[in-house]
Amino acid sequence: MNAILYMLGKNVKNGIIDTFRHPLKLIVYGLIAASLVYAVIRGFTMDPDVENKLDPRILYGAFLAILYFISIPIMLKGLSTGSSFFTMGDVNNIFTAPISPKKILVYGIGRQLATSLFLVVCFSAYGSMAVRMFELDIGNALLLVGGIALMLLIVQMITLLIFCICSAKPSLIPYIKYFIYLLAVYALGTTIAYMFISGINLESLYTAISMPYLEYAPFIGWVHGLIFGILYGNMLNTVIYGSLLLFCCILSIVIFRLTKLDFFEDVLSNAESYYEFRENIRTGNVGEYSIGSSKSMLRRKGISKGSGASAIFFKHLREGARRSRFMFFNINTIVLLGVTAVIGFGMKSFFNGPDKATVIFIANTVICAYVQFFFSAAGDWVKELNKPYIFLIPDDPVKKLIMAGATSIIKPFIDGAVSFVLLWIITGGHFVDALVCMLVYGSFGCIYISSNILAQRIVGISGNRGVFITFYMGIMVLLMIPGIAAGIMLLSSISAELTGIAAAFLGLPVLIWNIFISFMIFLMCRNLLNNIE
Amino acid sequence: MINVSHLTKKYNRFTANNNMSFMVNDGEIAVLAGPNGAGKSTAIKCIAGLLRFEGEIEICGHNNKSLEAKRLLGYVPEIPAPFELLTVWEHMEFIARAYKLENWQERAEELIRRMELHDKKDKMGKELSKGMQQKISICCALLIEPKVVLFDEPFVGLDPHAIKELKAMLSELRDKGVTILISTHMLDSVEEFWDKLLIMMHGRIEAERERSAVEKSGENLEELFFKITEKEKSEG
Repeated sequence: MNAILYMLGKNVKNGIIDTFRHPLKLIVYGLIAASLVYAVIRGFTMDPDVENKLDPRILYGAFLAILYFISIPIMLKGLSTGSSFFTMGDVNNIFTAPISPKKILVYGIGRQLATSLFLVVCFSAYGSMAVRMFELDIGNALLLVGGIALMLLIVQMITLLIFCICSAKPSLIPYIKYFIYLLAVYALGTTIAYMFISGINLESLYTAISMPYLEYAPFIGWVHGLIFGILYGNMLNTVIYGSLLLFCCILSIVIFRLTKLDFFEDVLSNAESYYEFRENIRTGNVGEYSIGSSKSMLRRKGISKGSGASAIFFKHLREGARRSRFMFFNINTIVLLGVTAVIGFGMKSFFNGPDKATVIFIANTVICAYVQFFFSAAGDWVKELNKPYIFLIPDDPVKKLIMAGATSIIKPFIDGAVSFVLLWIITGGHFVDALVCMLVYGSFGCIYISSNILAQRIVGISGNRGVFITFYMGIMVLLMIPGIAAGIMLLSSISAELTGIAAAFLGLPVLIWNIFISFMIFLMCRNLLNNIE
Repeated sequence: MINVSHLTKKYNRFTANNNMSFMVNDGEIAVLAGPNGAGKSTAIKCIAGLLRFEGEIEICGHNNKSLEAKRLLGYVPEIPAPFELLTVWEHMEFIARAYKLENWQERAEELIRRMELHDKKDKMGKELSKGMQQKISICCALLIEPKVVLFDEPFVGLDPHAIKELKAMLSELRDKGVTILISTHMLDSVEEFWDKLLIMMHGRIEAERERSAVEKSGENLEELFFKITEKEKSEG
């Protein structure tokens, strides 16, 4: 164990020294920390917004949702027999060392816990927001943040338990997996069922998410019950849920002590694929691999078309066809359709007003464009930069840049078409609104890719990823502002009879600006492919 | 022909290549040797046009960043980077299309056969072992019938048959007048066919020797390498 502690200590120390050796990295970390501290201080020191105070049942439901959000993925990791607890460095150096497997497992899970605790720091900003919105005092806000920390601790204990059980008896893995899914289904199911029974409206939603039944769900519900028991002074709940959690922790430790662990072989293959996955993330090769899923269907053979730079585009088409049978219609499209359906049906039920369809179109454009940002990280063009071929191909750099980015530009327009046709059907809004919003959504794809290109140009292709992402996001926001501002100005200047297609008036300048500025950036950054740096 | 003149490559305050100058003629195989961290891979990447640098590099008389130079240059990177979702044959097709090659199929078949990839033609990049990925890199670089080829540690990960075949290919390329620059630690692998030895230390060309001169002195590559690098170390 001394060796592990030594290694951990050295890792932390060298990590800190390394940060100080890279001033830009230090500045970025400093800015993130400062903005977090500012958000906390501002939240705690500002006067509560008494007039716009939110229903406390929202806090009840939101807190439970946060607990679910952080717990379920961690518990599911316990089933994968340690794939993410250990790195390849651990496998090569610690597994082969004369250290007890139990100590190694504690080290793996402990490190995971330390990483997870970072979430608590992030949630402290939300704690300060809760103070203002729900009229809480600082003690209550700290209790909520502490509740998240407690959840992380409990979930690590449960993960340890799951890991021990799965390692000793792999045949139980599917049952434990179903149990974890059941936890999530229980919360969602009871909420949806209640709403169907008592009517789909805001009041019934608030009641559904604050039902005490939700606290019956093991571990997650129990932590919620304990924290809200303390918050509302409900001694019975506090004692019952506190005892249940304590019992689970003790049980986990006892089972851990009694289990004869031999998990190295299971971890090895998972750690290798996880290492590969992480390496791809680190090098920006996002989406090239995903853990455990390496099957792609060959289907049609050959690239068939393209000459010079355009060969890159047709290669991307062939690769796309292998990732998904329907090429541009993939899991991202399904997620987008899901988001659109929720927004469409949700806002149609809860929102009332003369321009209902227009507001829904605008809301969907904003939210879907935000979702698209996460999809754009895995674009074909980003992957292309990790290989030397694009730099070596003897063709015009602008052509290469456009051809490498073409699939990433086309995809959002196709996703947008599918998504906004669905929304048009749901809302029955104006076709022009739907068309412009669809194009605006697609044009945000151009903005994301051009921001990426510009950030690559400034930071360098092989530059620090953290610094790159900061620049990328900063540039992206700056590029978006003029179009949105022009849209708002145009919307505010139109006459009343044209307000039926307000989303189109708001979107048109955004669309024109996004396309124009993206094209300009493509032109300005044509020398990007001159070298790999 | 490769003509490197006053090549300097800096990463912030660290100088990877310091005022390097050398020339490799047509039909010549030059070996770039040196200890770890000497700057060999950086120099190769600069010549391939992948890095920014100070100085001048010409490929057959063209600036190495020009399209003319790119058309004449084949590059085998140190770490193979195939396209995960393209088959072996599609890698050939992609290169042929990107470089606008004509009548390439027969040549691609031959390269694939010689690298023993013929039974893996329909395997995707991600399904191949590291050694096979290296073989794809070699096939891609040679498919374009380059006038200059840069090899960065080409023998690493290859099986004995592939090493033998690659050696034969290198000799054939030289006979056709192709300029070859190989960066390698495996000096015994190049012993039989090298023409020029460039020994790098601390980002500089520490010594440049012709085969004829070395053979006259009765030394072999390894002895020469140790003599030069260890002399430098003791003086340093």
